[in-house]
Amino acid sequence: MWWKILLLVGMSLIIILTFTWSPPQAKLGDVSRIFYFHVPVAWVSVLAFLVAMLNSVWYLRTKNLQFDTNSGIASKLGLLFTFLATVTGSIFAKAAWGSYWNWDPRETSLFILLLIYGAYLALRSAVPEETKRAALSSVYSILAFVTVPFLVFVVPRVFKSLHPTDSIVDKNLKIQMSGQVSALFFPSLLAFTVIFFWMYYLHQKVEKLSAKKEV
Amino acid sequence: MKPKYIIALTVVVVFLVFGAFSLKKSLTPYVSFAQAQKGGTVQIIGKLVSGTDYYDSQSQKLAFMLTDQESRLQMKVLYDGVKPGNFEQATEIVAIGQYQSGTFEAEQLLVKCPSKYQGLPPDK
Repeated sequence: MWWKILLLVGMSLIIILTFTWSPPQAKLGDVSRIFYFHVPVAWVSVLAFLVAMLNSVWYLRTKNLQFDTNSGIASKLGLLFTFLATVTGSIFAKAAWGSYWNWDPRETSLFILLLIYGAYLALRSAVPEETKRAALSSVYSILAFVTVPFLVFVVPRVFKSLHPTDSIVDKNLKIQMSGQVSALFFPSLLAFTVIFFWMYYLHQKVEKLSAKKEV
Repeated sequence: MKPKYIIALTVVVVFLVFGAFSLKKSLTPYVSFAQAQKGGTVQIIGKLVSGTDYYDSQSQKLAFMLTDQESRLQMKVLYDGVKPGNFEQATEIVAIGQYQSGTFEAEQLLVKCPSKYQGLPPDK
């Protein structure tokens, strides 16, 4: 399919350009290149949790188990991307601040997010009965998502943190990055989003196939 | 939306806000300067008072003044180690250590760098 090829070429280009073409930043130098991966991955995890929440809402409304399956898949992917964001963040932190982990409010809030969705997965595996699991997971997923905007967007701006808050947009949502940086950042964001949705649909197919196999 | 959902959501939000406030102290590892003076190993965060950093040959340490934005207090910090890169341009500095007899003895320094991603100026 054409979009897969586009994704392959696009992503390869992004990775190469990140190391060769994007401008090293003042003070941070080459280390700052991790920005082009760290931020998109973090954004995608929020998107994944949003997708999970929406599926949960649809499940509660229609009682169609497919939505619950989707919700579980999206949450698992969200957890994976959050974990990636944490790891890339930690590497970035060591290079930029001098310490892999300092329980900075930004780091702590992401850790809490990992725990919240980790618990979600534990909940899913603890309930064997399908409809009950779906009902419990859906409610949990919706409640969990209520915490996401708070943990991801509010905490680092309210508490003093080493993490930058205005690299991308300032308070008025005006873009702060220079042209060359934007030219690489937004495609990276798009590429990771496409990857997420592709993984999401692949997981759904796998689930359907394994369900058929059991029957 | 049914009233019971509204009530449930309100309860959740109230608990969240309440939780956030009680968690406030533990969500951040940084303490105020006044709190730091009470002793123990703590982390303080502040801005470097520019021009106040020098190498104190008597104690063989990097010395500088850190200012706390909220209360406009200043604290002298002594750091036994290599001056971190970007020290002068750091927008914030975190010092981890103990307050001892008038100065903050830092075991570790973390620096927050300027965060605008706009590339290097053309002459560099």
